[in-house]
Amino acid sequence: MTTGEWIRGTSVYRSVIRHGLEDTNRNRSLIIFENLFLHVHPVKVRERSLRFTHTFWLGGITLASMLVLIATGILLMFYYHPSVPQAYRDMKELQYVVDDGVFLRNLHRWAAHLMVFTAVLHMLRVFYHRAYRPPRQFNWVIGVVLLLVTLLLSYTGYLLPWDQLAFWGVSVGTNMAKQAPLIGERIRFFLLGGNIVSENALLRFYVLHCVVLPVALLLLVSIHIWRVRKDGGVQGPPEEGRQ
Amino acid sequence: MPLRRLFALSSLAFLAVLAVSPVKNALRPYRSIQAQYKALGLARATSMKAASVYADRQIAIQQIWIPKFDNRVDRCTTCHLGVSDTVMAGAPEPFRMHVATYHTPGDFPRFGCTACHAGEGLATSKDDAHGTSPDSSAPMRPAAYMESGCGRCHQSETVDEAPTLSYGRATMAKAGCYACHAVRGHEDFRSDAPPFVSIASKTGGAWVEQWLADPKKVDPNATMPNFQLSKDDITELANYLFSLPVPPQLEQAVEQASAEPAGNSANGKVLFRESMCITCHTVDGKGNGSAPELNHIATRATRGWLIAFIRNPHAFNPKTKMPQYSFSDQDVRDLVAYFEDELRDFDAPKEILDPLRVNQTLADKGHELFKNYGCFSCHVGTERGGERFGPDLDGIGDRRASSLDFGKRTDLPHTLDAWLAAKISAPRSFADGLKMPKFSFDPEQRRAIVTALLSMSSAPVPEPYRYIPPQQASVVPAGQVGEIVDRYRCLSCHQFGSRGGDISTAPLTFEGSKVNRDWLVSYLMLPTSIRPLLPERMPIMKISKPEAEKLADAIETFYVDPSIPENPFAGRPAADADPKEGERLYTTLGCRSCHIIGSSGGYYGPPLTDTHTRLKPGWVYSYLMNPQKWRADIRCPNYGLTDTDALRLTAYLETLVAAPAAPTATAEQRSAR
Repeated sequence: MTTGEWIRGTSVYRSVIRHGLEDTNRNRSLIIFENLFLHVHPVKVRERSLRFTHTFWLGGITLASMLVLIATGILLMFYYHPSVPQAYRDMKELQYVVDDGVFLRNLHRWAAHLMVFTAVLHMLRVFYHRAYRPPRQFNWVIGVVLLLVTLLLSYTGYLLPWDQLAFWGVSVGTNMAKQAPLIGERIRFFLLGGNIVSENALLRFYVLHCVVLPVALLLLVSIHIWRVRKDGGVQGPPEEGRQ
Repeated sequence: MPLRRLFALSSLAFLAVLAVSPVKNALRPYRSIQAQYKALGLARATSMKAASVYADRQIAIQQIWIPKFDNRVDRCTTCHLGVSDTVMAGAPEPFRMHVATYHTPGDFPRFGCTACHAGEGLATSKDDAHGTSPDSSAPMRPAAYMESGCGRCHQSETVDEAPTLSYGRATMAKAGCYACHAVRGHEDFRSDAPPFVSIASKTGGAWVEQWLADPKKVDPNATMPNFQLSKDDITELANYLFSLPVPPQLEQAVEQASAEPAGNSANGKVLFRESMCITCHTVDGKGNGSAPELNHIATRATRGWLIAFIRNPHAFNPKTKMPQYSFSDQDVRDLVAYFEDELRDFDAPKEILDPLRVNQTLADKGHELFKNYGCFSCHVGTERGGERFGPDLDGIGDRRASSLDFGKRTDLPHTLDAWLAAKISAPRSFADGLKMPKFSFDPEQRRAIVTALLSMSSAPVPEPYRYIPPQQASVVPAGQVGEIVDRYRCLSCHQFGSRGGDISTAPLTFEGSKVNRDWLVSYLMLPTSIRPLLPERMPIMKISKPEAEKLADAIETFYVDPSIPENPFAGRPAADADPKEGERLYTTLGCRSCHIIGSSGGYYGPPLTDTHTRLKPGWVYSYLMNPQKWRADIRCPNYGLTDTDALRLTAYLETLVAAPAAPTATAEQRSAR
């Protein structure tokens, strides 16, 4: 008995990995079915649907940047205090003292830009590929909500460095919200936690950016991908002749 | 499979990109600088023990963290490693030991670096920390204006250890900057500029136009800046000034005085010299210069006005620093006769003092100009008088260069100090239509003012770091004594506590403990020169005997330092009061190089010939123990005398009595005249 065989015989191993090693169709499907993270994935994928021109990988890139954002975001939270005297100073600390701090922050920033960019392109791709039509009409709606959440995440993250750009960006943004008829003033007050861009606004945007919106995003993304699977996988360009 | 290979290759490329940041991190410049410091320390260390300190150094970011001081974190010492290391005295930068100042090397943990030097304390690279990039948010304080850092905590007008800063603050007050610009702590500032009430009876239209064109050209002591007015502006303003009504009682006084008979010019000349006018004024540039130049005084004001003004200056300008001399009517006529004979501009046109015939349209335009240029900020007593016309200066020292309007001045470097210096020397060069007038500051004044401006922070430093020296009580008694002090304007030259002028070197705060009453009475009536070296003398204001006595009594009562003993010899053995020993000390200490006794000695200090008549023994003793106790700039050395030696020296000086030709006799002769 080799060591490998012995390990595979232990009850601990068998309780975690519940399929054999042979590359059989049964084992392949077991890998997918038995894994929480993979079970939304189809057991078999057509090679054609993996081709770049099929979907331009836009949904995948969006998802990947989301994962980068979550990972770097959590690391950044270790160095950031959502308070007026500390917030901007923490940006400087990242630059001056934290090892790879600038890289970490820039990674978060680049990934955020990329995510917004590819999410919009993804929506256009889906539109032009007519993938919003039944049975995918429900997923189209979720997708639109996801785009809104992504934009809100991008906007709330904008205030957190607490520099001039952030301050005025949020001043302008919330003043635009104020122009809404009847409830404009209330929306602005609700967003800022007051009538001016102050430490209350900073705290609100921080909680929105780090808790409320990410949780909403994760839930919606899960449903979105699950629906893709349920609706028959990704839809590429519609086949000629079919309307 | 091409797709898998692409995936593998892109993953490797991504890993390589990820490696860039850690590599950059490992190559940060401060690491090599710390290695250099280690090598330099090992080379310079003189003992094994000292060397081992350098050998054991770890490469790490160094910082001074001061939670109490705005949570300051200064990492300058990451590279400037030798600031408090005596081994590094004279070493090359960045390792050189900090030069010795009042706060170094002991106070680094209390102040850090950026409290004085500014710059970005958090940064760990040279360019970021020094803020050398254009429009940097936190540039370091330039060396030329270093003392502005002192002024952040030291908020008093004079900071003894920072002469440039003190000079700058004093110059700003003198130039009247605070009259137009609101600044924290100067809310009560009011300019000394005279009111215009009597201008129509004082001088002529031609003279006013000359003055408005360039005040400094007319009078080099003028504090009024040059408003660079056009010819039309000048005419209109002059018309406005002459359209202002003169109060009837002043007009009457001037008219009556002009009708008086002419005085005796020769007597006036003697009186002018005796009265020590040049203690404040100048004649052809000779004199103190804190009051107007008098060489053309008779071309500047009419005869009637001069006579009426000298008799009662405070009626014309309640804020003037000029005392009201107790001259007789004839004395004043003589003085003005002397002015008319000798102190006049012989080249001036005849009609220079002719009153202007007011054109009401021009006067109305002039009134608009008057408001438009903010003249009321300095010339209080007009409508809106004393209102601040210019922008606030609070926080000017923290303005970012990127927030400043350089306008047409494309020649300037984009730094705050360059902007301020240019603003001060050529305020109108930045754009058309600016209103700030041109002051004629010399380069040293300019540097001092920029230093003072850079010390104005947007937010005050925390309470424990703020230093304002304790204010000395400066009470002036009310009633008759107060009136006398006001009439003779004692405070124009002398100080009571923290109040008063700086022309006299003798503060009166503890005068009652210092001089004998009888001497003081005779001195007030007929002052003699105490320090022959100084050009400024106490003017002879013809103070009457009852006034002098009242003043002397008040000084004896109020201006007393309780730490000075009445009789220093009380309770001491007789040997301590031995004048012989004192005389020996006087010789061995070399007192005679500055002081005169009898006919020999130096001119720097006051003569001691009549010490017993003038000074109280308690003062002499206390002064000898610590000459700098009452004025930090006293040059008399502190010899660190023992009690006994100081007493013996006092005893010797107390044996010195003035010769019988006492000044009192002369004074009585004079007042009899």
